[in-house]
Amino acid sequence: MSLYMSTAPHVRSPQNTRSLMGDVLIALAPTTIAGIYFFGVSAAIVVALATASAILFEYLWQKLTHKTIRIGDLSAAVTGLLVGLNLPPTAPWWLPIIGSGLAIILVKQLFGGIGDNFVNPALAARGILLASWPVRMTAFVLPTCFSGADATTSATVLAGYEASYMDMFLGNIPGCIGEVCKAAILLGFLYMLVRGVITWRIPVTFLAVVFVFSAILGNDPLQAILCGGVMLGAVFMATDYTTSPMSAKGQFIYAAGCGIIVVIIRNFCNYPEGVTYAILVMNIVTPLLDKYVKPRLYGRLKEEKANG
Amino acid sequence: MVGVTMFACIFAFLLHHIPHHIERQVLCLPKYSFKGGVHPLHSQHEGKLPTRNAPIRDFVSDSVVIPMSMHLGAPSKPCVSKGDHVKIGQLIGEPVGGLGLPVHASISGEVTAVEPRLITGAGPVMCVCIQNDFADEWVDGIQGYGNVETVDPALIVPAIKAAGICGMGGASFPAHVKLTLPEGKTCDTIILNGAECETFLTADYRLMIEEPRRVVDGLRAEMRALGVKRGVIAIEDNKMEAIESMRKAAAGREGVEIAVLRTKYPQGGEKQLIHAVTGRQVPSGKLPIEVHTIVTNVATAAAIADAVIDGKPLISRITTVTGKVVNPSNLRVRIGTVVADMIGECGGYSEEAAKIVMGGGMTGVCTANADIPIAKANGGIVVYNEKDAKSVDEEPCIRCARCVQACPMGLDPYKLKHLCDAGNLEGAKANHVMDCILCGCCSYACPSRRWLTAAFKNTKDAIAAAARRK
Amino acid sequence: MAKKEKTVSSVFFNGILNENPTLRLVLGICPTLASTTSASNAVGMGLAATFVLVGSNVVISLLRNIIPDKIRIPAFVVIICTFVTLVEMLVKAFVPALYASLGMFIPLIVVNCIILARAEAFASKNGVLLSAADGLGMGAGFTLAITVIGIVRELLGNGSVFGLSLFGEGFEPMLLSIMAPGGFLVFGLVLGVANYFMNKAEKKKTEEKGVIRA
Repeated sequence: MSLYMSTAPHVRSPQNTRSLMGDVLIALAPTTIAGIYFFGVSAAIVVALATASAILFEYLWQKLTHKTIRIGDLSAAVTGLLVGLNLPPTAPWWLPIIGSGLAIILVKQLFGGIGDNFVNPALAARGILLASWPVRMTAFVLPTCFSGADATTSATVLAGYEASYMDMFLGNIPGCIGEVCKAAILLGFLYMLVRGVITWRIPVTFLAVVFVFSAILGNDPLQAILCGGVMLGAVFMATDYTTSPMSAKGQFIYAAGCGIIVVIIRNFCNYPEGVTYAILVMNIVTPLLDKYVKPRLYGRLKEEKANG
Repeated sequence: MVGVTMFACIFAFLLHHIPHHIERQVLCLPKYSFKGGVHPLHSQHEGKLPTRNAPIRDFVSDSVVIPMSMHLGAPSKPCVSKGDHVKIGQLIGEPVGGLGLPVHASISGEVTAVEPRLITGAGPVMCVCIQNDFADEWVDGIQGYGNVETVDPALIVPAIKAAGICGMGGASFPAHVKLTLPEGKTCDTIILNGAECETFLTADYRLMIEEPRRVVDGLRAEMRALGVKRGVIAIEDNKMEAIESMRKAAAGREGVEIAVLRTKYPQGGEKQLIHAVTGRQVPSGKLPIEVHTIVTNVATAAAIADAVIDGKPLISRITTVTGKVVNPSNLRVRIGTVVADMIGECGGYSEEAAKIVMGGGMTGVCTANADIPIAKANGGIVVYNEKDAKSVDEEPCIRCARCVQACPMGLDPYKLKHLCDAGNLEGAKANHVMDCILCGCCSYACPSRRWLTAAFKNTKDAIAAAARRK
Repeated sequence: MAKKEKTVSSVFFNGILNENPTLRLVLGICPTLASTTSASNAVGMGLAATFVLVGSNVVISLLRNIIPDKIRIPAFVVIICTFVTLVEMLVKAFVPALYASLGMFIPLIVVNCIILARAEAFASKNGVLLSAADGLGMGAGFTLAITVIGIVRELLGNGSVFGLSLFGEGFEPMLLSIMAPGGFLVFGLVLGVANYFMNKAEKKKTEEKGVIRA
């Protein structure tokens, strides 16, 4: 009889990287379906191209550099899907491909692959695309809902489009594919909470800070969290494991920082929307938060008091 | 009205079926608990279902192999030789040094060998092998004090020492040393650890249900020995039957109370238990007596009761045999019973065994074969099949923070792992690796299947070895 | 290992390959980022810097025994300033288009750390001929490196090389590439690629040497 020998523990949690990423994909499904419902086939093509090319880029890179091929952990699929959801439905075919390429190769693989990227790959790609092709990236249209009507160009709510709260909540407004339907995003958030993929800390703090800070500055607080990419950013982007802090306290500070920067950019800068840059900035602050904001050590209460 | 009732019913149903991590995050029930921790095998009732309703069964094997080193401290010196006839309770190993403990024969019969054998987690160690004659004869002169409430307190600790009792929860620290206060220290609370938060094990649970009186007697003996006024029996809230049974047994006993803990691993870790029950935190690198507390296991308390009331040495213990065996059971076995015999008593393997763990799933130690004996501190044997035993490759850390949230000591396991892998002992020490209690929560929670606890154990050993060399 | 004898050609090629100021020493990053928005800007900046490098290296080498050690840095700066002013006037007079696009960055050659570094590290310790070769080599290395970066950035950001449109009307340029962040990105990538190949070549060389010795 030959027995395996290993050190404790001998039981492992059923969650693994692949199951977590799979859960994120499932949580993104309502948002994706809602986006396709509102913006039609073109949205479906953009999302599909982004996801497929992200997986392909990851596979090619790992093949060419002789690394372990890890497309099976589904993280590339999540990144690609998020890139697609962050594009306007009018994006030409090459935009999602370049976006996924930048996200996977420039932001993720060049820094060491999964777990080592210092900013959220999908958001960094969106930031680069936004700076490179500003007209393409802000060519928003009114939802067509498969009515056969031609897409009409329109400004977003943040840039002056008038919409009811209900329309903003359900997604019947112009915007990026993934950001319009708040109901679907919240559904995904609930799913991730129940499955234990993320905690409530970052999304709730993020949205609460945007709500309160907008109210203080005299904006409509409900509109502030219902328009633009705040909800998508708070639930799916700011909660990216690799680029958010480890400790609970750090996560609160991080999320509050995101919220404050979003409101500052919306109110005092030239850009109508600032979720991308807010989260990117806080991503870069994350190592600092990890270094200085740590969980309280057991059994060192007195020591801290004596020293401090 | 009907609507309100229906809503209330649905709400109650949801509350009952709410996943544990939501409960942890949102409800925060006011029960005794600590920060961090995990819920291993939560969906399978911590793996305890096969044995939690199995009554304790006596099992006496044909032969035993009694190691001379079952406790922390120097191995005892064998004082019998091959061919001798021994009776139950006869001294076969003399204590050596301050942390030494005597070892007694657990069966009567002929000594077949005194030789080094492999034991759990160490070895080879000098062992006394005895062939059972099934005469079941006790050695002469076994005499107890009859009642823990009337015995002279000064006689209790010597009786415990003579009985060779060590901590039976796993750490195997000699009980009489623990119950002797160091100079200038005081103790105001004794906690009996009945949490049994470890996966698979139900030995303590069955003990508390079937023999609660022994446990309470043991606690009273400890309290009287030290003149302590408060004794707390701490039990997790998934063991309602044990809580009820202990409540009944403790009724009317002076200073004994029951604390209900939230079910969470490692609720029964010494430091976590003290924090949960008393709100005190043991300072880093210090013993619980710093915060005026002593923690002993319920099984240890039961052994103490036997030693004080009947004068019987520690010759048997209750051990859970579970996993891939035909008939998972809680066995009362003699110390030194060989694992293979116990598995045979449980009907043998139900699937081909690929891993045998001495202890529970979170902290147990693997054995290389089934021919090793049960020591005083072994509370369980878990047999794994090929599928569950296979170790998985480490994947890159995705910084998901699960280890940080799970660590009951407030460490940064992900960071420590990097330092340990790089062999940076100084860095690991600066990040408090020595505070790690090796509970395994971080490894359990890690979705990338990283061997965090293993790295910390190696690093702690390396630091301790370096300190010894100096 | 005995130190290799310095020859004019070894010093010259050293500046282009092994000690390429941009890609190996990572000096002069400010002009690298600022003047590579197009390939022709990069060439102009490279040539101007090369002229100053050669001139200042030669003069400093000639005066190296006269300049007191304690005030050598101010003295070097005065010499470099002279050549920079010269270059600025020449460019303004003969290539006004380049002056218009580089503008402020030509007088800023004064603070290009490659020039002061070579003055301090090489010209003040070596003869005139070697110093001239070093200036030329370093200048050529600098020009080469920033021209490559300029070509990539212009290609991505404008679809052209040296002003020649390559992709036709349908191409939508990546604006970021000719903005500041694009400068950092392309510089980082070129740096990475160049070092990857140079390290590979070096490894091969040492391996070959090892074989011969064995």
